[in-house]
Amino acid sequence: MVHLEEDITQHQSLQKTVLSVRGVYKKFCRNLKRSYVYGLKDIGSELLGLRWESPQLRKGEFWALQDIDFELERGQSMGIVGLNGSGKTTLLRIISGLMKPDRGEVKVRGRISALIALGAGFNPLLSGRENVFINMAILGLSRQEILKTFDQVVNFAELWNAIDSPVRTYSSGMRARLGFACAVYARPTLLLIDEVLAVGDVRFRTKCYRKLDQLREAGTSFLMVAHNPNIILRTCDSAIYLRQGKIIGNGPTSQVMGQYDEDLRSNNGNRPAGKVVLAAKTESSGVDITSVLLRNETGQVVDMAFSGQPLKLCLRCHINVEVDQLGMGVLIGDAQREGDWLLNLYTDQEKTAMAVTGHEMELQLCLPYCGLRPGDYTAKITVFRYPFFVYDMVESFKFRVKSRVQMNQCAFFQEHSWDACPVTILEPEDNFPKGIM
Amino acid sequence: MKLPAEPNTTYSSCSYLRRPRTLFQDMLQDLLAARELAWRLFMRDVKGEFRQSFLGTFWAIVPPALTAAGLTLANRSGVLNVGATEIPYPAFIMLGTVLWQTFLDALNSPDKALKTSKAILGKVKFPHEAIILAQIGQILFHLCTKLLLVIALFLFFKVAVSWSIILAPVAIISLVLLGVAIGLLLVPITNLVEDISRSMQVVHLVWFFLTPVIYPVPENPYLAVAVNLNPVTPLLVTARDWITIGFNGIPLNFVLVSVLSIFLLFLGWLVFRLSMPYLIERIS
Repeated sequence: MVHLEEDITQHQSLQKTVLSVRGVYKKFCRNLKRSYVYGLKDIGSELLGLRWESPQLRKGEFWALQDIDFELERGQSMGIVGLNGSGKTTLLRIISGLMKPDRGEVKVRGRISALIALGAGFNPLLSGRENVFINMAILGLSRQEILKTFDQVVNFAELWNAIDSPVRTYSSGMRARLGFACAVYARPTLLLIDEVLAVGDVRFRTKCYRKLDQLREAGTSFLMVAHNPNIILRTCDSAIYLRQGKIIGNGPTSQVMGQYDEDLRSNNGNRPAGKVVLAAKTESSGVDITSVLLRNETGQVVDMAFSGQPLKLCLRCHINVEVDQLGMGVLIGDAQREGDWLLNLYTDQEKTAMAVTGHEMELQLCLPYCGLRPGDYTAKITVFRYPFFVYDMVESFKFRVKSRVQMNQCAFFQEHSWDACPVTILEPEDNFPKGIM
Repeated sequence: MKLPAEPNTTYSSCSYLRRPRTLFQDMLQDLLAARELAWRLFMRDVKGEFRQSFLGTFWAIVPPALTAAGLTLANRSGVLNVGATEIPYPAFIMLGTVLWQTFLDALNSPDKALKTSKAILGKVKFPHEAIILAQIGQILFHLCTKLLLVIALFLFFKVAVSWSIILAPVAIISLVLLGVAIGLLLVPITNLVEDISRSMQVVHLVWFFLTPVIYPVPENPYLAVAVNLNPVTPLLVTARDWITIGFNGIPLNFVLVSVLSIFLLFLGWLVFRLSMPYLIERIS
């Protein structure tokens, strides 16, 4: 343990800042004609050496990036998340030096390799071999360096037989493989990855991630844009969250991703109340639902549920017919994807019913723990008498589920515990039932 | 692990001209770094061109040959009167057109370079000098093949070729440099204002008629002034004379325009370099 700590401090002292982004602003113009005019003006002031900082927005312009400030150290990887148009790609392009910021500065130490597009500059008429040389030359390698890594590139891309055929004959997966191989074997200090690992089959993607891990251990830093939160969670130490060109979250990946996930949800519609009181019916069929609510493990009325915690979905009814038993049905689905049900719980499926003992009843669906993952849900609730008589129904009861534990990459809550047993007290492997090994 | 040499790069909003020393160092460095890539891009373009075509270079010679044939017919029938040329008229036109075409190619090369590499420009940072060098390489390559064919034709039809042809490359290179320089200077405008890039066609046409391509330097005083003020004239005429008539000194205006070309080329390079980030932002 002591050794480990020593190693870590030693490692930390070796770390250096690879990328520092200080107060970067970038503005764009949505009107094409005007943006060309501004372009000419900017080039003019650039050529006259007048250009310093342009803090003012001109007519029709908007800030694509505002006050972006962060640092990246050697061997660290950082994810950038945000909705479409939040400035992720613009940021990567400024860092790679393709565009100039309008304010602030970007300092880069070492060689950058951008995976903004895999295989940029591939000529379909030329062979894979020729294209590797061109692509790696574009990435800044000399002939000797390319010759040295060429076999590794081909091995990684698994194109031994096809390397001398024209790239035109390659499948899109093959092209992506070759492009990725070129970029990672260019031995960059900083690798910018923009949503490109979505291509290729699962096996190759896994291989890519393994390669990225190796690179990171060897000291390469990453800056990665991806829409799939799992990729960011799996590969990045920290993340920044961009919204409309501003950093609104910066920190450990899981924290930022949590914030991002939550915002994604709350952006879509209002926050569900978690309880509904229904208006009195003008026409009654005998049993009327008066309200729907949620209760927690202690029976308190709550406005949201928590994954993994006990939950009761309660239905208050006013009963004015003679009936001994009532059935209840609950369909629960994701609020964003209507029609896709996740749960279908009906009393009659389970050959059971609830006994009616008064005129005002609260029917309760009791869940020992809520298996739904965090999100917004909608429930369709019916009260009926066996076999087919529906008294009343609530079309859409909306409620929210939150989580007190990390539930990234989980489709549902799984009750669980962990255990470790010495093999000596268990049966030997020879005693396993046949056919298991 | 041994890490590669680590350059420190800073991108900020202020004009590169504010730090001229860094700028010129970077320019030189990029030019050196661009050579390898330029060669690869050049080979890529040439190979790509030949892999799709069976007749290859043959096509390069067809347009000037047809022009020569057409104009010769016109001249003979008296529709056109260009006056006496020192060498047979068809040969005169063929050579003139090839040289003019080379100048035009050079003029358009920066624009063409930008258009053909649009896909990579917006995605990867690399020394942009490479795409220009690759284009120049391509122009010279095409010129060489065309000239070889033209000279083969000359020899076949027993048109004399002077020994001073070995000096012609100097004049031709000046011609190409002038074209590239003007092209580079125009890059920001032609790429941002569509009207200008369209009007270039008209400019080319007028320029063509003001250059002694299909006629010798005229004696008519008005036209002669215009033709002689045209910077392409001394370069093209000198190149043509050195190939066909022979060496009779280095004309002063040739020297002047050559020096001017080099100066303009440097200026064009600066303009191209400084405007690239703004162009990339808008064209990709």
